[in-house]
Amino acid sequence: MNVDRGFRRSLLWRHTKSKLFAFLTATATLVGLATLAVLLINVAGNGRLLVAMNATAEAGLALALRSLERGHEVFPYVRVSDVQEGSAAEQIGLRRGDALVRLNGQAVARLSDVWRTVQTISEERVLISWIAGSDRLLGDVRAEVDDEGHVVKVVLDYVTPGSAAERAGLQPGDVLRSADGIPIQGSRQAWEAIVIATRQKPSPGPVTLEIERDEQILHVALYAEQEARLVLRKDWWRALWDFITRYESPRYAELSGLRSAVFGSLYVVGLMAIFVVPLGVGAAIYLEEYAQRTWLTNLIQVLISNLAGVPSVIYGIIGLEIFARAFALERGILSGALTLALLTLPVVIIASREALRTIPDSVRQAAYAVGATRWQVVRHHVLPYAMPGIFTGVILSLSRAIGEAAPLILLGAFQYVAFDPRGLKDPFTVIPIQIFTWVTLPQEGRANIAAAASLVLLIILLATNGLAIFLRIRFQRRW
Amino acid sequence: MRQARQGVSLQAQPGRYIKENFIRGVFFVCAFFAVIITGFTIFVFATGSAPFFAKVSLREFLLTTRWSPLIEPLSYGALPLIGGTVLTTGIALLVALPLGLLSAIYLSEYASPNVRRVLKPILELLAGIPSVVFGYFALLYVTPLLKDLFFPDIEFWNALSAGLVLGIAILPLASSLSEDVIYAVPRELREASYALGATRFETVRRVVLPAAFSGIAAAFILALSRAIGETMIVAIAAGQTPTWPPHLLKPVETLTAYIVNVATGDAEAGAFVWSTIFAVGALLFVTTLILNTISYFIVKRFREQYE
Repeated sequence: MNVDRGFRRSLLWRHTKSKLFAFLTATATLVGLATLAVLLINVAGNGRLLVAMNATAEAGLALALRSLERGHEVFPYVRVSDVQEGSAAEQIGLRRGDALVRLNGQAVARLSDVWRTVQTISEERVLISWIAGSDRLLGDVRAEVDDEGHVVKVVLDYVTPGSAAERAGLQPGDVLRSADGIPIQGSRQAWEAIVIATRQKPSPGPVTLEIERDEQILHVALYAEQEARLVLRKDWWRALWDFITRYESPRYAELSGLRSAVFGSLYVVGLMAIFVVPLGVGAAIYLEEYAQRTWLTNLIQVLISNLAGVPSVIYGIIGLEIFARAFALERGILSGALTLALLTLPVVIIASREALRTIPDSVRQAAYAVGATRWQVVRHHVLPYAMPGIFTGVILSLSRAIGEAAPLILLGAFQYVAFDPRGLKDPFTVIPIQIFTWVTLPQEGRANIAAAASLVLLIILLATNGLAIFLRIRFQRRW
Repeated sequence: MRQARQGVSLQAQPGRYIKENFIRGVFFVCAFFAVIITGFTIFVFATGSAPFFAKVSLREFLLTTRWSPLIEPLSYGALPLIGGTVLTTGIALLVALPLGLLSAIYLSEYASPNVRRVLKPILELLAGIPSVVFGYFALLYVTPLLKDLFFPDIEFWNALSAGLVLGIAILPLASSLSEDVIYAVPRELREASYALGATRFETVRRVVLPAAFSGIAAAFILALSRAIGETMIVAIAAGQTPTWPPHLLKPVETLTAYIVNVATGDAEAGAFVWSTIFAVGALLFVTTLILNTISYFIVKRFREQYE
């Protein structure tokens, strides 16, 4: 071998460069796919909390986040906002106004703590510990105020019989000063201080209450915490079903559902299909089967490909002006459907044209040869063969429409709807806009139901797009 | 059931032609809708933004830097909105351009047919992920992640995470479109290059990419136009504060987000604020129209080269 060393080195370098580049392209593909995978995993992971949220909701609890503010410090706690009548939670003695303290021995400060803990607990019967509401834990608490509005002292006016306060030996007229060192500076704060003090203990136990009685400072041990086992059923399918069939609840994330959004999406996209399919397929047939190459057909083609690229929010403005205002259809289901039809028309036309174009001319010529008219050729020969392709295009346009939010925001879908739509002008909302609404709400748990709704949306889209891809592969014909 | 009749007469059937022409007319009307819709669009934006431009000069609209259509003192300089759009789409392109191009090259030139057969449909599925989901991801995952890892002072709404996720969102489209173009480069060109002793990288760089250049450019212009028109991601994650100059780590408002902002606010229909969305919408429409038209004609020219 008499090859020059320099040449050999350059050959090696070129070879290495090529290998490196191959590696680079593969990495880029992987990075892109991995990011999208992270997105999906994140959505699924956050949406999973729906199961725990539904479990507490089904046990009859509606929870709210409250907090005790002391100077700059904020101590959040979970308050039971509502207990459903006859529910499991009511049976074990939980009442409206109670505070949740521990689940299976783990302190819970926020709603997300409650749901995360429920999510991780494997058994169904959860040991739940709570503190009864102020009037049942203590009695009547009154704050005495001086002329300037500052609280001078907090007095226990009445002790509820059978309450923890009575068992601890508190008497009417006692002045409450602090709970485990947390100063008591208000009538509601007396109870809140006890809640926070109890929760800060590593395990259930008494809180030391400093009181003033007959001008003497006394320390009293108050057993505030109550415990019982509550059945929290964690069932994926049930949680999902409940979520889809419940109306939106503006107050409680765990009681919110997608019902009106699902109905809205179904109506709007269904109606849209009625308008867009005949129109789109008709236009495609004209352009592929009838049209000669004139300036008009050229113009139509350019316009269609341009319309396909118009931002969807622009269609919202057009729909608002034309359908809602000029045609006086108002901002309702029909206007929304027509607007989405404008949006998806180019998609259907382009896909149908492509489907028609794959049918070879020999099929048409054969039909013409036996005397068929153009319409007969189209109707009996071209369309049947092109059907799978057209169908694929239609499904793709439907899935595009299902995920579309921006234009419908302009058509009034950004609102709280808690009824099933009946008429064509009824207000509506759709799944993507419901997600948008939830994402923008700061309340705890909203992000999780937004993720759960995204999951529902993704499953629907996966099913429709998957069907489209399947159809294309299954019916793909080579001529 | 005319075909089924026995003993067909060969005489002309005038009804048949009337029917044929009628059907042809119906289909023509369907196709003509494209013209009607475009006409309506131009009409709506012309009449809708007329009151706006009667009050605000085009110069003030395009060249001044304070956008405050709701809060006194009122001011209608759209540069903050344009800047927000440019910033977020710029970041998006920085993500989507290299990743999209490289992955398209991988899929077309390196991936085995089996890998390609699996990845292409996956890409199409991913292209169908709705933008609200991306918005959710940007706001509640990417921003906290950036805050933890790189920028402790990043704000809750910011241009960076919206732009990054916007790039991820248009990635499947950009990749899929440019892959189509690269794949369509005739095999002979590659083989000629290999025959001269070029490596794969050299073939891609010197032969395939130049041949596919215009198509790739068209694909990315289309992706760019998609990014400019993309609404929900920026409305959710970039915020609704028009700022000039736009800052990477601070909230910005894009043209599209502004339209959503007005639509979700409580401005009454017919108020002057509504005419601002026509002006902003018109700007958006014209920009994307220009980009799409450029892309359309590039693709057309490119197609004719090899067919």
